[in-house]
Amino acid sequence: MSAAAVVVDALAVEALGLEHLYTGRRGLPALSFALQAPGVVAVTGPNGSGKSTLLRLLAGLLQPTAGRSLVTLAGREVPPAERRAVLGFASPELAFYEELSCLENLAFAAEARGARDRAARASAALERVGLGARARDRVAALSSGMTQRLRLAFALLLRPPLLLLDEPGSHLDEEGRTLVERIVDEEARAGLVVIATNESREWGLAAQRIELRGRGLGHPA
Amino acid sequence: MPPNGSNSAAAVWAILRKECRSEWRTRYGLNAALLFAVATLTGVSFAVGRLPDRTDLLAALLWVVLLFAALASLAHAFVREVEGHTLTLLRLVASPTAIALGKLLFNLLFLAVLEVVTVPLFLVLMGGPPVRWGPFLLILGLGSLALASTTTLVGAVVSQTRGRGALFAAVSLPLLMVVLAAGVSGLRAQWDGNPVTTEARLLAAYAAVVLGASVLLYDHLWED
Repeated sequence: MSAAAVVVDALAVEALGLEHLYTGRRGLPALSFALQAPGVVAVTGPNGSGKSTLLRLLAGLLQPTAGRSLVTLAGREVPPAERRAVLGFASPELAFYEELSCLENLAFAAEARGARDRAARASAALERVGLGARARDRVAALSSGMTQRLRLAFALLLRPPLLLLDEPGSHLDEEGRTLVERIVDEEARAGLVVIATNESREWGLAAQRIELRGRGLGHPA
Repeated sequence: MPPNGSNSAAAVWAILRKECRSEWRTRYGLNAALLFAVATLTGVSFAVGRLPDRTDLLAALLWVVLLFAALASLAHAFVREVEGHTLTLLRLVASPTAIALGKLLFNLLFLAVLEVVTVPLFLVLMGGPPVRWGPFLLILGLGSLALASTTTLVGAVVSQTRGRGALFAAVSLPLLMVVLAAGVSGLRAQWDGNPVTTEARLLAAYAAVVLGASVLLYDHLWED
């Protein structure tokens, strides 16, 4: 049983009238839902309907304009400012330090999060996404597909109970997409995986689906 | 796994190590700062020679060289993260306060390295009365702390604004005037054989106020 599996039944994510407005346009229309680990949930909707915004709100990277999101672990609410400790996040906007190697980037992330065996965890995460052979290459030398694999490794680094994956298959080849399916399947046995995507192959992995039906393209608020 | 004190300390230490490694790989700021300092001191030395009895000019020149040599790098501590799109990564591994404290420690270390090279060169090239090392290092250390904490705070606040370059200059200029005035006055006083207590207290109080304001403000940074 993995470390994440210990908390499998105790993780819940809830949105209560969760809404976000960017300056002059709507990022996410008011939304309410309740999710429970273990499992996979897909968030779908047209471009600009708020898929990425929803994941950033759940991750605590954005403050909601109205409503709130709740993440509870073992009966304790995890405030947005502390959520980094319980989640893994991968999105196309996630960038790494190009002057550092893949291993150094992940070891830095693990060290900052307080992991003692940072090098071992970084190596394990890189191996898991097929980047073991490129561990000592600088990020600047990676292709877009390999950078996407590095994002996935970053999300998996500390085996968090909550995984937020925004377009996890973007830039990936067939082998990479199969890898995403395998990772989602493995992580969903222990925790909760939320995938923002419009790829039918990716949302097909989910047992539940949140469909954002806004007009998309960040229409005016 | 909520954050605690040891996690925060680990994050600050990790960010400091990452900043050092990135600077070592890119030499983004240090080479430019050292070039500015050495070129300025050499140029002034050629132009006016040694200034053994002009403690007013010596004090002003040392602070001006340190300030302008370091400013570009200090101001960019957060801008580099924004322009490299790595701020999301940082926010996912550390609290805003831990990020800012890591950056502040790096800026202090950067200033220390700059001073280790610049001050001996300055003393050799510009002459001047014998240095009273205790007061000299006290004023230099407190001035560096005030300079680093001010530029780190202003850099963090303006990093995500559109006109951050102009805004940094406009906001930091009045704040740095206090540091510059007290630093110049303190160095001049130690060369003239006078006490530096007033200047040291002013710099210490100023650094404490800026650091206190920083701790209060940092956790509210980047709240979109």
